[in-house]
Parts: sequence; C-alpha cells; structure tokens
Amino acid sequence: MFTELNSILNTSPDSFTQGEFILVSDRQSDASFLIHHFLSFYLRARCKVCFVGLVQSYSHYSAVSQRLGVSLAQAKEKGQLIFLEGLKESLSILNPQEADTGSQAMDFLRDPAVGLRSLYEFVRSGLSSSDGGEDEWGPPVLLVDDLSVLLSLGVSVGAALDFSHYCRATVCSQKQGNVVMLARCDGEEDEEDDGDDEGEGSERLLKGLSHQCSLALQVRGLPTGYCRDIHGQVEVCWRRRQADGQHTQKKLFQYKVHDKGASFFARGTSSAVL
Amino acid sequence: MLPELLQGTDAGGFLIIQDSVNYSGRHLLWSFINAALNREEAVHVLGFEVSEEELKDGLKGSHIQRLHFHDAYTDPLGWTDQPAFTVHQFCLEKLTHLIKQTSQHKPATLVIDSLSWILRHRCPPDVCKTLQQLKKGGAVRVIIGLLHADMHQRGIVGSVCHLASSVITVAPGMKGDEAVAKTTKRSKSGKVMQEEAIFCIKEDLTVVVQSKPSHLGSRQTDPEEQETDPTANLTFNLRLSDTERKAKEKLALPFVFSKEKKSALLHSGPGSGRILYEPDANDDYDQEDPDDDLDV
Repeated sequence: MFTELNSILNTSPDSFTQGEFILVSDRQSDASFLIHHFLSFYLRARCKVCFVGLVQSYSHYSAVSQRLGVSLAQAKEKGQLIFLEGLKESLSILNPQEADTGSQAMDFLRDPAVGLRSLYEFVRSGLSSSDGGEDEWGPPVLLVDDLSVLLSLGVSVGAALDFSHYCRATVCSQKQGNVVMLARCDGEEDEEDDGDDEGEGSERLLKGLSHQCSLALQVRGLPTGYCRDIHGQVEVCWRRRQADGQHTQKKLFQYKVHDKGASFFARGTSSAVL
Repeated sequence: MLPELLQGTDAGGFLIIQDSVNYSGRHLLWSFINAALNREEAVHVLGFEVSEEELKDGLKGSHIQRLHFHDAYTDPLGWTDQPAFTVHQFCLEKLTHLIKQTSQHKPATLVIDSLSWILRHRCPPDVCKTLQQLKKGGAVRVIIGLLHADMHQRGIVGSVCHLASSVITVAPGMKGDEAVAKTTKRSKSGKVMQEEAIFCIKEDLTVVVQSKPSHLGSRQTDPEEQETDPTANLTFNLRLSDTERKAKEKLALPFVFSKEKKSALLHSGPGSGRILYEPDANDDYDQEDPDDDLDV
C-alpha cells in the first residue's frame, strides 16, 4: 500500500469510496505495482477480496504482498481472500491429467465462444460469502490482473466487456463494493485506428472499460524515454461527478517504484531534477 | 442550437449524443432527461450502463416520479434467473408494451443509455430497424440515445446517425468543466444546420452555453478574402506606359560596357596621374604571398 497514492486519491483503508470501478491501464509500461497496491490496500481495509490472478503465480503475489506488509496466506486462511490462480487452473484444463478439480471458473478455455459467464459465477459466488462470514468482512472487492490476458486466451473483446459489466453491476452497484481491473495496451496512444482494425483488440477493450469505469489510472512510460530516477507517469482521471461538482478531472504525476513502495510527485519535481 | 434542443424536440425526433473516452456525454444526457422531466413529460430510461440508483442520484432534485427506469443494467444478457430486460428484447413490440404499461396515454420520451451496448450485441441493421419503427410507432414521442462513437466502426456510427434528426458530438473543452458540442440538426424540410458551441453543465444539470468558437465564423469569411485583388492598392506601378518604356530603353545601365566607356578607360587623357614604384633593398617583397605585410 502506497500512502502517497492514497493521499492523491483521497482515500485510506479506514474510509474509501464504495461502489467504484477503478481501471488501471498501462501502455508500453508496467502498472502491476498498482495492482499490488490495491490488493494490500483492500486487505488492510478488511474487505472481502476476490483476486483473479491470470498473469502471475500465487507465490509471486504472495511474495510482493509480504514486502508490502500483508500476508496473503493468512488472509486466505481467514477466508478474507479468494484467490483464483489462473495459471494453475488453466493448466489443469488444457492438460487434464488429474481428475477434474471442480473449479468451473476457467471453463471458457474449453470453448472461448461461450463467454465468461463461468468466471463471473465464480466471482459472484466467491463474494457472496455463503458461510455466514458477512459481518466479519467489509464490502466485497474484485481485483483482476489482468483482463487483456483473456484476449490472448481466445476470448472476444465483447465477452470481456460483458464480464466486466456484470462484475460492475454485481459488485459495485448491488453489493456496494469496489472493482479494480488492469488492462494492458501495447500500441501507441495517438494511433488512429477508428475501430476499423479488428486486430487492435486490447485498444477496444481499454476504450470499453474506460467508458465503464469511475476512476482511471493510466500508467505510461516517460515520453522522453528511459530515466533511472523516474519510472513513468500516471494520469489519474475521475470520470464521475465529484462532490464539488466537477466531472472529468485529471491529474498527472510521475512515479518511481521502490523496493517497498512507490513515490509519486508532480511533473518535474523528481529529486533527481531538483 | 443546443438550448433549443434542450427545450424540446419535435415529435418523432431522434437525438443522438455522441461521446468518446475523453469526455463522457452522460451528463449532457442527464441534462436532457432533467429538461424533459421539468416539462412534465413522462421519461422512460432504458439503462444498460448505469444503475437506477446512480441515475436517480444524478437527477437529484428533479421530478423523478415521472421517470420510469427499465433495468437492463443488472442482467442485460440473462445470466441470472430473473432478468428485467435483456438486450435481445430490444424490439418494437417489447418496448411499446413496456412504455404503454407504465405511462399514461401521452407519448413518452425514450432515453437509451447507451446505444453502444445494444450495438455490441445486436446486428446494426436490426438496431436501426427497431429505432426507425420506434420513431414512426407513436408510443414514443422522442428518442434520445447515447452513443460511444469510438467503440464502433465508423460505418456503423454513420448509419445510426443517419437515422437521427439531431446529432450532438461532445468533446472536452480547453479548460476545466468546459466541453465542446458540435450539433447537426436536420429539419423536416431537409435543411441541415450545423453549429459548434462551448458549454458547461451546472450541478443542477442545467446547460450553460458559454460562447461559440470563433474559428467557425472566420472560415466562412475566408473565400471573400481570396477574391480581393492583391494588386489593387500597391504603392508602385506594375505596368509601363509607352513613353515610360521608351525612356527606360534609352537609359544606359551602369555596368554595360559601351564603346565610349572603353575608350575613356584605355586612353587616359593628358595630365592624369600615374604611380611609379621601385622597390628598394629594404623592401621585403614575397613573390608567393604579396600581401604578407598586411595585418589581416
């Protein structure tokens, strides 16, 4: 959890806005440090967290969280964290040697055309806390790292957007929880593709998610190229009307990721410059 | 033109608000809902992208008792057991039924939030057909739809917009809350009017049109400027009269080597000066570099 980011977003584990759909996106850069931030943030906030990790193994997330001062193993044991390890699950489907382990979540791998309904059912049942632990944990939170991986697994952009829509309708609106999704994009921002290019799926996914989200964190590399002291810039964009009446509000920060955290600063105010 | 559209569209009208990721047109859509509610019209919202709570929260202070929300947000594809409205029910019969069910016999305003959601799941010809039928159908007085233009191919956006009587394209403005709206209005006579305006939306969802960008006006005056003769008000002459040309031809130019000049130069007249130079022993004359003694 990065306290500097909390102050930028004006939240803290004790008080955060509920019902938010946060989109984390990166373009020729890596925004996974923000996913680790949100994971540790919501675990500290005593939320019931469902983590759909499609990119890395459980031990990777666990090791990073350990550095940020949160134990995933403990949270899992207490029933606070539901972790879907996409890599493992997909392997058991693609290479079905053992008896069926029972999880239907990754069923879309068998036939990508059916859509992500099974994955949604997994999220919904995971967050509905059937075992009476409702009072124990706060609002439900869904984290997805990352949604664009699904495109490489054969899922269409439309199906991925349907999945995010259902997650938003259930988690944000119905249960007043939060959703954080990461989406990656490799292309240049100013590429004029007009939606004609069918190959640019990640671009369309990102646009669709941007229309759905209430808060967008866009991570980019520095336009001027590599720098040792500044790892990139984050644009924070509130798309919903804020309490003070403003709607689309944007702020741009530069960041540097450290071993145990990250620092955010206004453009041009890096310690290496001043 | 934007304020007139807000005040009300003619019956059978179809208004599209086009937006992109850079600026959401939803607040403008809400302004239209708010304006219709204030005119005491029944408004039916077909909500795919915003929940009922969020919409009603956004419309705080309006007369929401005349607002009918048809929930296509919670379950638009029928993944759970009791879907309220699915995207596949988007057809004339179902919509007319829904509207007639709740509203009085007065034709209502139908708000679709958003057309993009429907276009993603239904084929564009079907959607266009349904929209056209709704326009003609009688149960609906006006249709207002939000369209995320950057989500679709240009052709699809074009064909849907061809059905519309008015299209408002919104884009972010230069500063803060401002946004730019490009309005295209087709009147029934076939006349097409276009206008660009900067607007901002107040907290009570009223739209304030601040100014019209000036570059549109200047574009219109451009052809007039091109017609004017650039040689009209010159301080010099471009053409010569006959006498002027003769005088010009008579004049000998300074570097033309005429016979008189040549003889004057070769045979210097008596009494003219001449330089004689005899180097003495001290003179250090360098054959290879005669200018050696110059301090250059």
